[in-house]
Amino acid sequence: MKGIFVMLLILASSVQADSPAFTSRAAIGSLNGEQIYDHICQGCHMPGGAGAIAAGTYPKLAANKKLVSWQFVALTVLNGRNGMPPFGQPVHHEQSRATHLTDAQIADVVNYVRSHFDNNFKTTVTSKQVTGLPHPTAELMGPQ
Amino acid sequence: MGNGEGSGSLSRRALLQMIGSTAGSAAMYQAMSSLGFAAESTYPGPTELPGAPKGASILILGAGMAGMTAAFELRKAGYKVQVLEYNARAGGRNWSLRGGDSYTEMGGLTQQCQFDKDLYINPGPWRIPYHHRGMMHYAKLLGVPLEPFLQVNYNAYLHSSHAFGGEPQRFREVKADYHGHVAELLAKATRQNALDASVTKEDQEMLLESLRQWGALDGNYTYVASDAVSERRGYTKNPGGGLSARPVPSKPVALGDLLGSGLWEALTNGDVFDMQTALFQPVGGMGRIGEAFGRELNPLIRYNSKVTEIHQDDTGVTVTFTDSRTAGPEQTLRADWCLCTIPLPVLAQIPMNVSQSLTSAICAVPYAAAVKVGLQFKRRFWEEDEHIFGGITYTDLPIMNIGYPNTGFQSGGKGVLLGAYMWGMNAMQFTAMTPQERVQKVVDYGSQIHPQYHKEFDNGVAVAWHRAPFTMGCFGMWTADTRSKHYDDLCQIDGRIALAGEHASFLGGWQEGAVTSALDAIGRLHTRAVAQGRA
Ligand SMILES: Cc1cc2nc3c(=O)[nH]c(=O)nc-3n(C[C@H](O)[C@H](O)[C@H](O)COP(=O)(O)OP(=O)(O)OC[C@H]3O[C@@H](n4cnc5c(N)ncnc54)[C@H](O)[C@@H]3O)c2cc1C
Ligand code: HEC
Repeated sequence: MKGIFVMLLILASSVQADSPAFTSRAAIGSLNGEQIYDHICQGCHMPGGAGAIAAGTYPKLAANKKLVSWQFVALTVLNGRNGMPPFGQPVHHEQSRATHLTDAQIADVVNYVRSHFDNNFKTTVTSKQVTGLPHPTAELMGPQ
Repeated sequence: MGNGEGSGSLSRRALLQMIGSTAGSAAMYQAMSSLGFAAESTYPGPTELPGAPKGASILILGAGMAGMTAAFELRKAGYKVQVLEYNARAGGRNWSLRGGDSYTEMGGLTQQCQFDKDLYINPGPWRIPYHHRGMMHYAKLLGVPLEPFLQVNYNAYLHSSHAFGGEPQRFREVKADYHGHVAELLAKATRQNALDASVTKEDQEMLLESLRQWGALDGNYTYVASDAVSERRGYTKNPGGGLSARPVPSKPVALGDLLGSGLWEALTNGDVFDMQTALFQPVGGMGRIGEAFGRELNPLIRYNSKVTEIHQDDTGVTVTFTDSRTAGPEQTLRADWCLCTIPLPVLAQIPMNVSQSLTSAICAVPYAAAVKVGLQFKRRFWEEDEHIFGGITYTDLPIMNIGYPNTGFQSGGKGVLLGAYMWGMNAMQFTAMTPQERVQKVVDYGSQIHPQYHKEFDNGVAVAWHRAPFTMGCFGMWTADTRSKHYDDLCQIDGRIALAGEHASFLGGWQEGAVTSALDAIGRLHTRAVAQGRA
């Protein structure tokens, strides 16, 4: 697992050189956990995991006790819930509007949010553990 | 091909179908039709709801197109109507950002729109196809004038950063060359008898003649530079008058280059039912419809009201709300019935005592990411330098679309264009940026197509729909599977509560879906109310 993780980091740094705030669709697969948070998750959960409240709420991820369960976090990212879109969908064609991250990336971003923003959960999750969880099929994009 | 009948005429039809699908790939239809399905509106004509029970009341949640359509018709039918709306304005996603407006997105970042007077962008809906009869009806009824929306502009660009050295190509050239080469190939196959098994000899003659016409082929059925071809793809030097009159024909691009460029993918955008001429936009911005509706219903709408709980019992519905600006003390309103048009990402978080099947349906529809960026330039260089009047340029850059204003042609002064309209992962990433970063990036990318960008740029605004405080997304993404599991449950009346809105329609991502779903829901609510009398 570690090997993949290191490889991701190397690929990702070349991506970073290209453009700090934007990555082509083709290169999204090489973002690491922190980069995924900055490029994608913070669109809703805001920088620093601060969350936001308007007509509805994007939950604060900072100092969030619910993150104690890695399964909860990983399942949320894989399958989405309510206003949170699923990220574990199968890959579609190039112009697809689907949002897709690999299991390794999901593991990495789960580890990232559980160990940052005043969260201090020690256990880490592997790509293989994420693979073991239920994923959405092409047809099923809603929550479980 | 071939569904077992095998007659000569059927295989001809199949052949023509094949031509059609080569020219207009089905995959592209899906990818680029962008919002909505090619479904005809079910708008039934002006609504009649006779015999409303005396004194019957209804609470409508949300003053978007769905909520206001319902409010208008139910008031007319004699119901006591009240509308609760989160925003300080009517319209919901029907909205225009104009000079002087300010917009605060989730997370608290505020943008002041610095466009000149009368210049605007539509951050949400921007086009109304002629067959969206409900929208056409209410625009007319409200006295909102329409003007053409140019979906297809032959002089706008198709652009691939990987083809033709990154040089944008005119739509006209790509279309003419694609048709010309395909016609030539098909003519060749026909003349080499490759189609003998599927097309009769007689029909082959017709086919050849039609290919010559369709593709602008010469007498030998080849696609080569000629006056006829230039009449399609344009001239190197246009014909004129007097001594400098003589036109210079242009040269087609080779088939291999064209196929490899992928630019053919965008050719069929205007062939999709929802995008076929004629399309319209309200004069002055899409938001004119919501504004007019708001004025019409004025005393009924309570603005700045954030619904926080919906509770029904045997005799009515109680809705709890707070002031959306101050989150002040909770207040309640009560009515016999409730029509809820709150977008699903928001509604999913509002406590409401309805059946498990409806709750599951509400949670089953994630909302798409979308970002639109409006850019003001010091002059209308796309018109002055490039002769592009309205319409859309398509690109493989993250900005995906550039929309030129379909109004104010040749006017002096500044101009505003839509610098980006993006979806999917592109939009997600732009959502994660600050508005300033979004605008900056869009100017950078756009300058690859219009080198004038950096010199002429004035200011811009960027709306990322996942950060829109009142919808938390662009539109509901249904799939065949979630539709079959949840759609009917979502639309079913639950006790005294019914849902309506774009999400409760087969016209997802279209205002017509909001209008027709509202009319459908109030028709059913009305039947129930009449059956039950007042209580
Ligand atoms: C980028 C984009 C492009 C589009 N392009 C087109 C197009 O070209 N043509 C077209 O026809 N359609 C287009 N659409 C779709 C169209 O905008 C929608 O289908 C339509 O406007 C939805 O109307 P609605 O009434 O269902 O929802 P909305 O307009 O979202 O109305 C819902 C209302 O509920 C209010 N609300 C939310 N939460 C609460 C709460 N807690 N309490 C009280 N009120 C609340 C909101 O403020 C809002 O006013 C586009 C949409 C987007 C985002
Ligand atoms: C389009 C907006 C959006 C994006 C992008 C998004 N989320 Fe969410 N997220 C939500 C919403 C809305 C919820 C609340 C869902 C609910 O109603 O339970 C949520 C919930 C969560 C939760 C559970 C928090 C809690 O307290 O219940 C976690 C963990 C989470 N998201 C992580 C992520 C991660 C990691 C990413 C990036 C891969 C991400 N989200 C991207 C909208 C988003």
